[in-house]
Amino acid sequence: MTPQKRREAVTGYLFSLPWVVFFLVFLTYPLLLAFKMSFQRISVTQPSKAEFVGIGNWVAVVQDPLFWKSVFNVVYNQAIFISVVFVVSLGLALLLKEITKGGALLRTMYFLPVITSVAVSIIVFNMLSGPSGPIQQILMSIGVLDKGVDWAFSKWWAMPILALFNSWKWFAIQMIIFLGGLLSINPELYEAAEVDGASWWKRFTNITLPMLKPQIVFVTTMNIINGMQMFSEVFMMFNLEGGPYHSGLTPVLYLYKKGFNEMNMGYASTVGIFLMLIIVVMTTVQWKLFNRGETN
Amino acid sequence: MTFLRKRQFWIYLALIVGSLLVVYPFVFMILNSFKVGTEILNYPTRLPQHWSLDGYHKVFEQLDLGNMFKNTIIIAVSVTALNVVLSSMVAYALSKLKFPGKGLLFQVIIGSMMIPTVLLMIPAYSMYYEWGWINTYTVMIVPAAVSAYNIFLIRQFMIAIPNDFLEASRLDGCTEIQTYRKIVLPMSLPVLSTVAILTFMNSWNDLAGPLLYLQDRSMYTLQLGLYTIKSEIPGQNLEQLWAALTVTTLPIVFVFFFLQRYFVNAFTGVGLK
Repeated sequence: MTPQKRREAVTGYLFSLPWVVFFLVFLTYPLLLAFKMSFQRISVTQPSKAEFVGIGNWVAVVQDPLFWKSVFNVVYNQAIFISVVFVVSLGLALLLKEITKGGALLRTMYFLPVITSVAVSIIVFNMLSGPSGPIQQILMSIGVLDKGVDWAFSKWWAMPILALFNSWKWFAIQMIIFLGGLLSINPELYEAAEVDGASWWKRFTNITLPMLKPQIVFVTTMNIINGMQMFSEVFMMFNLEGGPYHSGLTPVLYLYKKGFNEMNMGYASTVGIFLMLIIVVMTTVQWKLFNRGETN
Repeated sequence: MTFLRKRQFWIYLALIVGSLLVVYPFVFMILNSFKVGTEILNYPTRLPQHWSLDGYHKVFEQLDLGNMFKNTIIIAVSVTALNVVLSSMVAYALSKLKFPGKGLLFQVIIGSMMIPTVLLMIPAYSMYYEWGWINTYTVMIVPAAVSAYNIFLIRQFMIAIPNDFLEASRLDGCTEIQTYRKIVLPMSLPVLSTVAILTFMNSWNDLAGPLLYLQDRSMYTLQLGLYTIKSEIPGQNLEQLWAALTVTTLPIVFVFFFLQRYFVNAFTGVGLK
């Protein structure tokens, strides 16, 4: 190695050091600790009195109906959220692509919900969507609803309403990502299709959607990873049980309740590990599905 | 021609209606913050009958919002400053320096973005508890000082900086650190401001972190304060809650309007193949 190359390598290692330290201390070590704790009965306040319990926690989590209810809830929520936010954000991106003036101002306005905290926006949204809020007032005045609905206390409405809330809150990021993708599609593709007499819908399904695939894969992956970890929204809206029917219970809320309310950190760690495995499986399956679409 | 105009008209109409739906909740929030409690409860959608500043007065008196502002600003500013420095250092190494193991390091960084960090909150809590970090600024600042996502964003930008600039600086006898500080950092200003806004916003809006690690009231951040107002006095003192919502949101909206060009650009050109 020449002195110049050695100097460069040394600087490289020095400059990488912050992340390596972060990775070892704040990611790898807690991850290993989580595995260790999942085999223990251990309390938040007395970590020295940990007790080895074998695979007890793992068996208990698998057999825990509340854990599976919480997993069902986030999957139910994500199924609605991912479809709604996809239609809204792609629709607006397609419209924004067509205009020449005022796009910057509109994009800025669309970003307001993104920069607002979940705590603030869920309180405002709850008031807007509650029985005395404008949404239900309008629905009642046109006869869609007979009386006000307290969705947080209902058996099935909590997750769809939260999905709508999150669509309002986050659509702008996806819209911008899609818009970036749309603008990078070669216009000649559309011109050629138009010459061939392809309809708008044909051009959309045969050119736009396939060309947007990298963006679609990216946002779906991020949606799954973030959505499965839903916490602040339900923590603000519900008690630690997730409401009377557990309809607002999510895995992370359940983990929080087990770990910090019932002081059972071994069980909570096991819930966390199961959730991580579920996320890995879901993202892998999703990637497989998208790639299979490609070979066909 | 008229067809095109008509089409533009409908497109603008749809986009403007959409933006009104997005902005309405903020107008709703600000209007309600000027009402008294019973009016918020009974007539949430009306304009205030008597414009009142009661909520603002009370919330600053009773809930020490000033102290929460201080805590939130100390944490958000420190995390942002550290991220700009540390994440850009790692990004510089990954994009402009050659050293054995660089490829592996990059793959590990990308892979680590898939680890859901919130799942680590249980072991992390017991770790910080042992270190005596609970109820300190440290616990909110140090673990958030560098992030894989920020490194990735900055690296993508730095790769596009022509190597000629770096070679020229090295030929002038600059050390690697001087090259980084005097050439690469100034040229990376757009991406660094993007990273700064994103980090500041995430830190300012974080609820789960303060909830776990800051239990002493004197350490509370704004988001935690909001949660307390909402949960401790349900149905009562509504005017305080709505004033607090407005007060905690306006600073971040203000920052955003100044830097929104960078912010919106941060999300263009992302994709996974």
